Amino acid sequence: MSQSRMQLPEKFLTVAEMMNIGDQELARRKEFLEFRPEDEERLHKLAPLSESYAEAVIEAFYTHLLKFEEMKVFFPDNATLERVKAKQKQYFIRLTKGNYNLDYVEERLKIGTIHEQIDLPVKSYLGMYCFYLREAWKHIFEAGKKEPDEVMDTFFSLMKLVFLDISLTIDTYIDSRERTIKSLQQEAIRELSTPVLPFREGMLLLPIIGQIDSQRARQLTEHLLESIRINRAKVIVIDITGVATVDSRVANHLVQTVEAARLMGAEVVISGISPEIALTMVTLGIDLGPVHTVGDLQDGIEHAEQLLGYRVKKFAETGKTDKGDRV
Amino acid sequence: MKVPILKQGNFLIASIQGALTDTDLTSLQENLVCSVRDNRSKGVIIDVTVLDVMDSFAARTLRSISIMTRLMGANLVIVGIQPDVAFTMVQLGLKLDGTMTSLDLEDGIAMLKAADQNQERGDYGR
Amino acid sequence: MDAERIIIISDASVMTARQKGRELGVSVGIAGSSLTLMATAISEIARNIVQYAGQGEIEFRSVVRGGKRGLMIIARDSGPGIADISQAMQDGFSTSRGMGLGLPGARRLMDDFEIVSEPGKGTTVSMTKWEF
Repeated sequence: MSQSRMQLPEKFLTVAEMMNIGDQELARRKEFLEFRPEDEERLHKLAPLSESYAEAVIEAFYTHLLKFEEMKVFFPDNATLERVKAKQKQYFIRLTKGNYNLDYVEERLKIGTIHEQIDLPVKSYLGMYCFYLREAWKHIFEAGKKEPDEVMDTFFSLMKLVFLDISLTIDTYIDSRERTIKSLQQEAIRELSTPVLPFREGMLLLPIIGQIDSQRARQLTEHLLESIRINRAKVIVIDITGVATVDSRVANHLVQTVEAARLMGAEVVISGISPEIALTMVTLGIDLGPVHTVGDLQDGIEHAEQLLGYRVKKFAETGKTDKGDRV
Repeated sequence: MKVPILKQGNFLIASIQGALTDTDLTSLQENLVCSVRDNRSKGVIIDVTVLDVMDSFAARTLRSISIMTRLMGANLVIVGIQPDVAFTMVQLGLKLDGTMTSLDLEDGIAMLKAADQNQERGDYGR
Repeated sequence: MDAERIIIISDASVMTARQKGRELGVSVGIAGSSLTLMATAISEIARNIVQYAGQGEIEFRSVVRGGKRGLMIIARDSGPGIADISQAMQDGFSTSRGMGLGLPGARRLMDDFEIVSEPGKGTTVSMTKWEF
């Protein structure tokens, strides 16, 4: 760790930056929608009218919305409804306020994020936009029907901007889904490679197979600890029969796992220590500390059962065998 | 007193309600030790179920409490260390050597009773 | 948004820094157990600042790498500085019973860790926790 200059990020990243939406990307989207300075002008001219019909549109909007059961859940009380209506009004008015730059994009992305987080379905979101556009159209047409061309152009300008907003919102949904999928995948891989098996009540069995590197050791430990909590386990049997090599690092991971389990009130039995591993550990001076260690998995389970106060007795069918009575 | 200490028979139960500053931890130590003396308690439970972070200072304080209460004839059980917290402690190398730990209050009290009985029988094994 | 910054000057501010870290960690998308690791690392580093430098500051920045987000924590102080960084970063926990400088511990809890320090000039630690 030399004393080289640290590379520190310039500032706190915006949502837009985290999603890679910069000036160039914004320009492309506008170009694709053919959203040009003329459109901005038209929206600017629309502003006074838009502000005058905002309330009416919002009332119609929410009346429609609240007819649907699945939408009612988002408005548990009147205070929430009023608050949302106020925000909605701000949103609509912003559409005609100009300055459709990265700050605008940032606002829209944040709104999208909030809606995604409260689990508002995309179909509802799109339905809402559609309703808004139809209502706005009615008002725009009513006010300017004497000049149909201009009315149509104004409406198209509004439509282009609204579609820009929709694209940004859908992007936040997609971005969030992708990150959720990635993290779920990682969690699934973790769990598959480190199975923790509830055995008897209060007992967990953790067979470790293959190599243990620090990442796997960490996953293993986290998974084990969470299982202890969920299963209220008091004894853990960690079987290392399948572990490739036990060097001082692996032993260290084991010790840490054992210590962590103990902090949660569980005792640990380590089984599967072969003569070779035992020799290696003695040679390397590895001390697993106060853990119960036994030779094989069966012994491990028996020992754990004893710790839990179980006695296992086999009912022999045809006379006694060597393993007939285990008490 | 930020951490309430309740008496249950011969035992004291201190329930941590939220995050604690270093000063809060030091107060807890003083209050517990005084309470053990005042009540002649045989056992102490510190419930850390709600504690979201156990750093080196907190661990050191718990260890001190453990030593001091033992000197005064009381056993200590730390109850409810959460999985994340246990993991973090181990990564940091924080040990609660010799201090008993349990998953929940019920187990913790059972441990204190068992330890108490062992001591009465003259068996100081644990 | 400007970087979030907390002045570290007392044990109450250690707690504030921890809570702020958690809050920002959640907003970046960091999951439960990683939040605990991060909050603990912040606690250790912040306490170091109070103990060895008297005061300092902790700044939070969001970062992105390869499609995943993270929270970077930058802890600065103008304290005495560390003469031998590699020694300070050594895992002294088994011998010092957790009474070390908190630096090696914090490093183990975080995903990325960098430290720059000079005697007489102070110390800067920058550490990052990724969302997954």
